[in-house]
Amino acid sequence: MISPVKIWRRQKEIRKLIGKKGRVVAWTKIFTPGSDFKKYAPYPVVLVELENKEKIYGQLVDHEKEDLKTGSQVISILRKVRASSSDGVIAYGVKFKPL
Amino acid sequence: MNYITGYYTTKFGEIWEKSLFDLVKEAITGVLKQTNLTNKQIDAVFFGNMLAGVLENNLHSPSKISEILKVNIPIFRAEAACASGGAAFNLAKNYLDANRNKNVLVIGAEKMTDYSPEEAITGLSAAASGEEQEAGLTFSGLYAMIANYYLEKYSYSEKNLAYVSVKNHFHGSLNDKAQFRRKITVEDVLKSAYVAYPLKVLDSSPISDGASAVIMTNNPDWVKKQKYKAAVLASEVATDTISLKERKNIDEILATKIAANNAFKNAKIDRTDINVAEVHDCFSIAEILAMEDLGFWKKGEGGENIIEQPTMFGNGGNLIVNTSGGLKAAGHPVGATGIKQIGEIFLQLTGQAEKRQVKNVKYGLAHNVGGSGGTAVVTILGI
Repeated sequence: MISPVKIWRRQKEIRKLIGKKGRVVAWTKIFTPGSDFKKYAPYPVVLVELENKEKIYGQLVDHEKEDLKTGSQVISILRKVRASSSDGVIAYGVKFKPL
Repeated sequence: MNYITGYYTTKFGEIWEKSLFDLVKEAITGVLKQTNLTNKQIDAVFFGNMLAGVLENNLHSPSKISEILKVNIPIFRAEAACASGGAAFNLAKNYLDANRNKNVLVIGAEKMTDYSPEEAITGLSAAASGEEQEAGLTFSGLYAMIANYYLEKYSYSEKNLAYVSVKNHFHGSLNDKAQFRRKITVEDVLKSAYVAYPLKVLDSSPISDGASAVIMTNNPDWVKKQKYKAAVLASEVATDTISLKERKNIDEILATKIAANNAFKNAKIDRTDINVAEVHDCFSIAEILAMEDLGFWKKGEGGENIIEQPTMFGNGGNLIVNTSGGLKAAGHPVGATGIKQIGEIFLQLTGQAEKRQVKNVKYGLAHNVGGSGGTAVVTILGI
């Protein structure tokens, strides 16, 4: 179960991270995730260094195979991250798409 | 001086017939029998466990151990993710340093195979940062990022990592307590399915059940009477950020470097004095990084060095690594691992390592890591 309070607390931070450009510094593709992410696997996760040097993680979406590499230019977007049940709270968070 | 005078471990693996505290009981009974100690001669107990509270709503382990041991002494649980065992040992050592003529029992245990892989992975993810969890990063995912970064930086391939698993499975074949006794080839590793690119099933330690225990004492009269003993020359803990992204170097575990430097300084020996080491190979890349960050190999050279297998038993090297089979082949019941590592070094130092006994062993090192490097414990033993 996803806590609505935790989502609410986190969202205040997430909005500051949207629309930021950056560069992939490390990446992987997850084939065996935890329970909440099982239905999305396999999915790529990238570690991005933003232009202000801050680093953030997110899944890479709307991408071609060649975009999943170190050095790729990406931009942060708001996307659905997970939903623990059909009528539960939907968690939104930061993901990246190629620039 | 503190001495280890006995070690017992259950078999590691899928031990469906035993619960967490059945395993703990077997380890306690086993180590007391080995050392001819009675429960009344134990002054304190330190217990390393990570997941019982998360997976099976099972906490207040000190009281459960009190019931098993039928004593009313101080008992403490330590939690530092996969370094819970090493952390418990470190606390036990500090307890002895603060109290004279005491015997302590240190146990590590974990019960993981009652749960689906997804449940176990979710439980283990509790030891990652909130952001890492929210991005869908698992521990294999975090180590995979490190591996990918390392392989790109130093122009290695997945094949370089595979040698670690080949070596550790060979060692596991010589250890009857190991979860996997099967030898594997580089091709087997490369053909296995991806867990998190570039890491595959055979790059990864398994989900395991098991419990391990040691007796440590600073009672000189008791030590004199013991047939088997190894001196604890150093036990050092270091910590670092929980998030991989906050670290200065992605391909380095700084906590390992700090703990190792402090441990060698305290033990007053050099890297070249170490004959056997148990290093934290939760994934193949982790053993490469450990060898570099502990100072045995130069940064970036591990991927090349492993190809000739200088650290494999029987190859005549000066330093043999993970004779137990490591986490990869011996299994990784998270809380037990740190104690099993120290126990394996004890067996090597006291000539009890049977088919995998390395000759002329004087000093050994155990290296236990929590999370993606947020905690590291380095222990040095000698005879």
